[in-house]
Amino acid sequence: MGLMDEAVDNIETEIDNLKLNAKEALDQLGAEFSGAVYDSILTTKLGKVVGWAQKNALWPATFGLACCAIEMMAMANSRWDAARFGAEVFRASPRQADLMIVSGRVSQKMAPVLKRIYNQMPEPKWVIAMGACSSCGGIFNNYAIVQGVDRVVPVDVYVPGCPPGPEALLYGVIKLQEKILKEAGSEKARQRVA
Amino acid sequence: MGVTEQGLLERDKDTMTLNMGPQHPSTHGVFRVILEMDGEIVRTAEPDIGFLHTGIEKTAENKRYVHCIPMTDRLDYLSPPQNNLAFCLTVERLLGLQELPARADYLRVIMCELGRIGSHLVWLGTHALDIGAMTVFLYAWREREMILDLNEMISGVRMMTSYIRIGGVAQDATPQWLDGVRKFVDHVPAKIDEYESLLTNNPIWLDRTRGIGTMTKEEAMNWSMSGPVLRAAGLDWDWRKKRPYSRYDDFKFDVPTQDHGDIYDRYLVRVEEMRQSREIIKQALDNLPDGPYKIEDNKVSLPPRETLHTSMESLIHHFKLVSDGVKVPRGSAYVPTEGARGEVGFYIVSDGSNTPYRMKLRAPSFMGIPGMCKMMEGAFIADVVAIIGSIDIVMGEVDR
Amino acid sequence: MTNEAIKEQLEATFGSAITHSEMTSHGELILHVALEQFLAVMEDLKQNKDFDYLSQITGVDYLEQDREPRFDVVYELYSLTKDRHIRIHVGLPEDEPTIPSVYHLWRGADFPERELYDMFGFTVTGHPNMKRLIMPEGWEGHPLLKDYPLTVEEVAFSFNPDHKSELIKTQEDVKADPWA
Repeated sequence: MGLMDEAVDNIETEIDNLKLNAKEALDQLGAEFSGAVYDSILTTKLGKVVGWAQKNALWPATFGLACCAIEMMAMANSRWDAARFGAEVFRASPRQADLMIVSGRVSQKMAPVLKRIYNQMPEPKWVIAMGACSSCGGIFNNYAIVQGVDRVVPVDVYVPGCPPGPEALLYGVIKLQEKILKEAGSEKARQRVA
Repeated sequence: MGVTEQGLLERDKDTMTLNMGPQHPSTHGVFRVILEMDGEIVRTAEPDIGFLHTGIEKTAENKRYVHCIPMTDRLDYLSPPQNNLAFCLTVERLLGLQELPARADYLRVIMCELGRIGSHLVWLGTHALDIGAMTVFLYAWREREMILDLNEMISGVRMMTSYIRIGGVAQDATPQWLDGVRKFVDHVPAKIDEYESLLTNNPIWLDRTRGIGTMTKEEAMNWSMSGPVLRAAGLDWDWRKKRPYSRYDDFKFDVPTQDHGDIYDRYLVRVEEMRQSREIIKQALDNLPDGPYKIEDNKVSLPPRETLHTSMESLIHHFKLVSDGVKVPRGSAYVPTEGARGEVGFYIVSDGSNTPYRMKLRAPSFMGIPGMCKMMEGAFIADVVAIIGSIDIVMGEVDR
Repeated sequence: MTNEAIKEQLEATFGSAITHSEMTSHGELILHVALEQFLAVMEDLKQNKDFDYLSQITGVDYLEQDREPRFDVVYELYSLTKDRHIRIHVGLPEDEPTIPSVYHLWRGADFPERELYDMFGFTVTGHPNMKRLIMPEGWEGHPLLKDYPLTVEEVAFSFNPDHKSELIKTQEDVKADPWA
């Protein structure tokens, strides 16, 4: 018995000592903790940081087409408050915007205008097709309506609904943010700004 | 007149051509107007519409009557129940339905007047925002959200309710919904006073709206303006009073009018209309009759769901109505109704089948645009936005 | 003046130009007027019968009903001061659908008459600014004619990146209406 007990005691003492040392070390670290973060150096791609910044400051163009535009306005209002996701700064000029929310049906007459506005937006830029009409033509399958705005501009997120509620549009914005973050630093994101 | 793309580059003229829209935050949609400017004064204004042309009239010729109702929602998307009502009234007249159950009419009235208040709130918010008063926009949308919640409660959708159907309404109102409407009715007068306290005596608002965009009674009639624009010019004309439909003659309400016919008067008329609409809703709630919420003629409206399991006749009616739709006798009809922006009505030609042969919307915004552009002539460039806001155009019904 | 009196006066003045008339129980007077006398009737209505408000103008294409004449133009007129309601139907022949403008009587006729040209291809003589209103300039055909296809397109969810660069389908790509 004797040898074994001695060994166990020794180990226990050793562990206690280690714990004490660790606590001391931790206390020391805690004292310098806040400073340590600011002094530390992280290595990442600049593209990732830029993407992270872009995702949190989407500036949509004020581009209301039809019924969905009213729900888009509702999204910007106090009850739904798109500002929580950094997407409330609606810009009247496409040159200051990086997100185009195609809110409503796109007619054959509007399609060239829409294309021009899209071209006027600086890269990088994203498009949300809001509602059934801009996603696929909706209930208006006829001579006048473009059957989906993806015939005219590339679309990143489709939000279904007729019209989608503000919460659905917010979900679309969040999905777009996830997409931007995922793409950040990748070849695709590089092509956008190249 | 006759401004072309090339004209934008001409430099040998005294005037400057300015393009406004179709992507412009203050044109309330995709309206485009080409302004011929002499300094800051607008010489001519040439409208260009059609950027939201949806082909609804053509599509309706290939859809059954019931399928047309959701499309009417998307015409004037700020007050959809009034479009539903105008369409259903016309179809009912063609069908020869003289009278609906009182409860159906009252529920229709409540929905329409909620729609009117909701529409006027959007108008007030955006109009004030265009002129520079941001706060009203946020306040007006706060109350509109209550109306949208009520819409969602009764029909499942926030905006495009399609609640009014041929022969009645889609489903009965629940007590919870009626409680909700009553809460809204009690809540809204103080809020309308709040908007008024922000605008009615605001010197900036007065400067921007008084004596601007003036249209006399005779001009307004000649240019086929309707609704609040006509009433602001001093003509006491409201289809709810002149040809009462949907039992509007049961309710006591005033038709507000003003004399000058400028932007400020239109503002006053619309704000007062919100109060009157609230009065109508209150009376409709107080006197809401019991009884069926749609007609019991199963050739027109669906039989109750629970009878399908017990009654062969109901099953056949249900099958016929769902698979084939309502057959409307030959003829044509037009029923004028008072929408939020003026006279709304559908001219429907039927060839006896289950689809409309021709469906035409009389849209107040569409008829109002030439007159609006006439108001712009001689006005300052800054007033163009105020004039557009005061007519309250909705491009959905302009381009159809 | 009641609807009855208006109808009698018009029939006395224009005789056989009023081809058909009826009165509804909703206070509307419906008149079918021959094209030759149409403008004279409208002028009389405006100047002598106080019809001061033009509510709307509708075109109807009766191609599928096999009717002579093929087209109908419907005018909705009110007297807001005297509270009257009248509806005028004018038939237009298929080979040369031309109708005189009433823009000089009611300024509100501006847009609806342009729409008649745009959607049906009617020539409206005497209108100051006759060109397409809703459809883009250079559009072929007049959509509300019954022989114009609705152009139902098979809905395809496009993941094809090449496809996105195309602007929109051209008129030639349009397939015939599968519902017809």
